[in-house]
Amino acid sequence: MNHRPVKLIAADSYWVGSFEAMASPCELFMEVDEEAQARQLLNIAAQEAWRIESKFSRYLNDNPVHQINNSGGHPVEVDEEVAQLLDFAQLCWQLSEGLFDITSGVLRRIWRFDGGSQLPSQQQVEQIMPFVGWQKLTWARPFLTLVEGMEIDFGGIGKEYAVDRTLQLLQQHTDRALLINYGGDICTGGMRLSKQPWSVGIENPSHPDTPKGVLEISRGALATSGDTRRYLMHNGKRYGHLLNPKTGWPIDDASRSATVAAATCTEAGLLASLALLQGSEAETFLQNQDVQYWLTP
Amino acid sequence: MYVCRFAAKYKDDESMSVKLFLVTVVVVLSLAGCANLGVEPWQRSVLAKPEMQLISDPLSAGLDDHIYFSKEASSGGRGFAGGGCGCN
Amino acid sequence: MKPKKIRHALTAATCGLLGVNSSDSLGEEGDWSFDSAVLYYSEVDRVTAVEPVISATRDFGEERALNLKFVFDTLSGASANGATPSDQPQTFTRPSGKGAYTAAAEETPLDDTFRDNRFALSSQWEQPINRDYKTAFGINFSTEYDYSSLSANANLSRDFNKRNTTLNTGLSLAYDTVNPEGNIPIGLSSMIIDNGQANYRSEFNATREDSEENKDILDLIFGLTQVIDRKTIMQVSYSFSDVSGYLTDPFKIVSVVGDDGRPLEYRYEQRPDARQKQSLYWQVKRQFETDILDLSYRYFWDDWGITSHTIDLRYRWILDGRHYLEPHIRYYDQSEADFYRRFLIQGESLPDHVSADYRLGNMQALTVGMRYGMALRNEQELSLRLEYYLQSNDNTESVIPGILNDVELYPDVEAIIVQLGFKF
Repeated sequence: MNHRPVKLIAADSYWVGSFEAMASPCELFMEVDEEAQARQLLNIAAQEAWRIESKFSRYLNDNPVHQINNSGGHPVEVDEEVAQLLDFAQLCWQLSEGLFDITSGVLRRIWRFDGGSQLPSQQQVEQIMPFVGWQKLTWARPFLTLVEGMEIDFGGIGKEYAVDRTLQLLQQHTDRALLINYGGDICTGGMRLSKQPWSVGIENPSHPDTPKGVLEISRGALATSGDTRRYLMHNGKRYGHLLNPKTGWPIDDASRSATVAAATCTEAGLLASLALLQGSEAETFLQNQDVQYWLTP
Repeated sequence: MYVCRFAAKYKDDESMSVKLFLVTVVVVLSLAGCANLGVEPWQRSVLAKPEMQLISDPLSAGLDDHIYFSKEASSGGRGFAGGGCGCN
Repeated sequence: MKPKKIRHALTAATCGLLGVNSSDSLGEEGDWSFDSAVLYYSEVDRVTAVEPVISATRDFGEERALNLKFVFDTLSGASANGATPSDQPQTFTRPSGKGAYTAAAEETPLDDTFRDNRFALSSQWEQPINRDYKTAFGINFSTEYDYSSLSANANLSRDFNKRNTTLNTGLSLAYDTVNPEGNIPIGLSSMIIDNGQANYRSEFNATREDSEENKDILDLIFGLTQVIDRKTIMQVSYSFSDVSGYLTDPFKIVSVVGDDGRPLEYRYEQRPDARQKQSLYWQVKRQFETDILDLSYRYFWDDWGITSHTIDLRYRWILDGRHYLEPHIRYYDQSEADFYRRFLIQGESLPDHVSADYRLGNMQALTVGMRYGMALRNEQELSLRLEYYLQSNDNTESVIPGILNDVELYPDVEAIIVQLGFKF
């Protein structure tokens, strides 16, 4: 895990570090003077991102998530960090009235958003629904018990959490300005020497390669939810990849993407995800939260 | 705490600075003793809740302080002993 | 499904997950939040108060916040004037000197002239200096018919040890003015009763001197807050208060009784012109499973000879995510002021200071109550609290003459407290 490459280059007034983690390009902008310090910060960031990836990825088989997903209905004792994330996932499930659910990943067995046109049958959906729903598992800190066949997936939280944790770690080593970008989930720390905000481009979902706009951010975080490349077309109707864990079907009228600004990346990411899960009410939802947002219908 | 009770036995004004000093000592000592208490930043999920703040409902606390200030001879403790009312 | 506001809950949860202070969050900017309540306080046969409060907080980001609080207080009813009951009806001159009020035989004399409105405004500004130091500054003003108060306070706190330990120090200065109708009675002078004498008015005026008196209050507080573990937080604090000026209650009197216990005259009370109060306060808050225990103890002492103990216990019993019940019990025990006397006996030399105000006597008080809270949509919260408050005094007079043995010298005071609260 720890020997993937990291790259460090010097820009005008800062250093840019990059590496790959959580299936995303990760970038780190550091307004420090010394290359040695930039390299040290970059290494800390990469180690943390890889640590979180290896601990929470559902594709690996020697981590707590694998242990939980293969527990065969038996209780699994989890460590403090996993427990914190489970507490958080539970709260998000409550706040979203069941729409945000880390057990909904098994629906992907029948829904393949590969741009194809094959819809699952209602019967297939009904067969898989007994394994979906936070209310079906038992979370009694530090023990998590799933119904056999259920799975959990921290994909909706993990990357944003990694961004925030990385910033916290780096801020123990420097007061200088930092910007962390893990696949579009961004947070900033410290004040730039120039007092100027960072400029961040927002991508246009229909034309992912051209920036839709540039926004300036001097503190706080930005996160985007939505993936325009993952959908199904069936009888001329577009089915987005967001699934309603209560029905097993895609959310109707879901916006393609939402970007939200908040104090932390985790909060911004959750607000963006919860907004998309509201379907046609996404805009009203975001207005009600008194946050800055950018919504692509 | 023992030191504070001891200090409380002084009544004359001259001992005021002594009392303050002793309280400072107690606070500093207990601070030193607290160095190994506490939690890591990511263990604050419970403590961050509004209902876990020491004064979770400032409005009720203020109303209570006002009632007891007007009906009893003691005041202060969690905040300023205050005044601002002709009721006492 | 209608989208609702969940932001604050989500912010709090995120801050918990990441271990940052929830006040660090940035999105609150420009967002006013309100907290309001109405308190109804009613004593059996005595004072009734209705007190609406509204508090508005605006977050300016980076932990800077402004809080404004308005309190309006209407008070009516009767309050014990300090005189002893007698086997005969008693007549007392109103504080204004205009007219009289009477107490029936055997009854505790109550001055029924109380009717007052109080309006108070306070403002507080919080501002961090850096990551570890925070400051707060406040100005408070209140006014009622015969009383006004102006105060300013400043607070400095410092975090240590990954914000697990916070030291706090605060200073408050206040200046209060009292100007009762009928002016300030001369302490220890005898109350003049209008029995139809021709020179009543000049006799009454002879018991009055100044039209207005003041007091200065200096408060200091030193506190230590410590996180004990993931679910426990504790605070200890020491506070010191120095009050000087006119500390007497201009409406209170002391009966001077004969050997038979019947009143011969009433003297206006007189308290010392300075008081130093100190207290030690300890509070712990702990969450069990979901319920929350809140326990505090205060030891108070002053140079008037009063010491007191206060124990306060609350238990927030979470019914489900949206409702809770919170039983509350508070016990208070105070010893009397050195100059507290229930009455004076004729022939004894007049002390320099004396008060028969039951609030300065040996007293125990018990509060029992229950609060119910309910979370509404959009992070609004409704709460209702109902409490019963009982005060009882003990006798400390060594000799109780004559008829005073047959009357209730220390009646209990019972009150009901109802409070409705709404956060939005």
